[in-house]
Amino acid sequence: MTELPANATKRLKTMAISAGAAVVGVADADAFDAHAPARHRPADLLPGALTVVVVGGAQPRAGDWVATSPWLLSTMGTTERIQGVGRRLAQSIESELGYYALYVPPGTASGDTPFLSLMLAAELAGLGSRSLAGPILNREHGFMYWSAVITTAPLEVDGPETAPACPAPPCREMWEREHTTPCLRVCPLHEGGCLAGRLEDGRAVRTGYDAARCNTRVHTHWVGGFQKVLEETLNEPDREKRKMLVYGDFMTRTLWAITYSSTNIAQCFECMRVCPAAHGLKEMR
Amino acid sequence: MATDGVVQAVKRVGLDAGARVVGVAAAEAFRAGVPEGFRPEDILPGARSVVVAGGDGPTAGAWRCPDHRVMEITGYDLRENVAIHAMCDYIERELGYYAVQAPSLPVHGHEPPMSMMHAAELAGLGTRSFAAHIILNPEYGLLYYAALITTLPLPADPPLAEPACPHPGCVAMYKRIGTTPCLRVCPACLSGTLKDARIETSTYDREKCHSRAQTYGIGSFQKALLAVVNEDDAGRRREMIHSDFFAKSVQSVGFFRDSIAQCFECMRVCPVGRKHRKLK
Repeated sequence: MTELPANATKRLKTMAISAGAAVVGVADADAFDAHAPARHRPADLLPGALTVVVVGGAQPRAGDWVATSPWLLSTMGTTERIQGVGRRLAQSIESELGYYALYVPPGTASGDTPFLSLMLAAELAGLGSRSLAGPILNREHGFMYWSAVITTAPLEVDGPETAPACPAPPCREMWEREHTTPCLRVCPLHEGGCLAGRLEDGRAVRTGYDAARCNTRVHTHWVGGFQKVLEETLNEPDREKRKMLVYGDFMTRTLWAITYSSTNIAQCFECMRVCPAAHGLKEMR
Repeated sequence: MATDGVVQAVKRVGLDAGARVVGVAAAEAFRAGVPEGFRPEDILPGARSVVVAGGDGPTAGAWRCPDHRVMEITGYDLRENVAIHAMCDYIERELGYYAVQAPSLPVHGHEPPMSMMHAAELAGLGTRSFAAHIILNPEYGLLYYAALITTLPLPADPPLAEPACPHPGCVAMYKRIGTTPCLRVCPACLSGTLKDARIETSTYDREKCHSRAQTYGIGSFQKALLAVVNEDDAGRRREMIHSDFFAKSVQSVGFFRDSIAQCFECMRVCPVGRKHRKLK
């Protein structure tokens, strides 16, 4: 079956780390079938797909998390860095190993539906597990961004992670004490937030998540924000108010957000900001 | 004139930084076919050489994807630009000559300050094809090109003696049925004739091709915005603003979607470089 050199997977992983990934793993393409809907599985995108290589990294630095200005994380998008690693891996698999490789586009196929769930891919590649807050958390590095490459190469597969990063020990203690966790407390669903859940036998169980609300908060200044302010502007009969809307801070920041110069990916990080596991559980001087 | 060792060192920097091919053209070679104001020395006084880098477009896997939307929005890393910057840095820091990236984005209409297609031809990296005159590299087919202009006098590569297009398979097809794969797949945009296995005439409808290749881009955003602004009914306006077409157009003008083009048909059927698209 395999015509791959014996050390191909290891070399590919080393290359990914040198290119800037913090973690890299390989998922079995068939493993998606049990979780992903039809048309969003690896073989739907690349006929004959055998494995999915997932890289994680480009996460905010420890300094970013402790910065006191909320605008820092709002305007310091970093996700593109990991996408570059994914593209490079795809080219490398084709040119050096001779197998088809498809870089999974980071955008959506339509609406909010991705071509392939990068979160699921990260889980299946053993790079992390879903947190109570939603994002996949890696045990060592915490919150990260992901990129994936679907390939026909029969690479060695990693198994899913067995011990989840969430809940972190301080969250378990907080649950014992107060029946909440940092993420549930900072954004509670029953008080106009996005998250609901509990801990059972030391495991996180998510019971509610308002995706639409979360999306509008996370992407305040993004395509949706532009559409919203454009509609308001056109509906405004007063010429002077229209001018204020066009030149207003909201419109300006929105335009920054949807262009390259700001790489303004998200504006709300609260559930991750308070999560002990999201920062890779590291403290610095 | 710099030695072969220098030119090889410059090319190695570009290849190591992600370029698939690198070639060199003499700055003065542009004078014959380029109007004044668009030549290398109009951009960098004292320009002697133009170094051109070609980078990969879609992977072979992307060409095989049955979901056409993947090719529409997959985006490329545009590493030819990175390779150009790496070579510029090398030329300025290590060799002590001026080097600038050649400007290639349109400044008026479809007009760039300097043609990357022409630069690639002069640097011996490819030739114009039937398919919308896209430059084809004889080995890799479709590549994306970027260039740098430098005062460093480098020995130039000659333009290709044999054109990459038409491919022998296309010549045979033309003899048989009077068309080629690209002409057949897109008769709306492309037309031309072959004679003695060479392109005799070739024209394409640039406006039509542009609007199809970039269904979602700045043009579609302008088109949709005008329709929205001209719509008097607030309810209908809301539908238009929040529609998939408008949302995709806005996304495509942002870096995030990296939406380069939505129609690749003439390149999808092109046999040049196909061997690199047939893998395991």
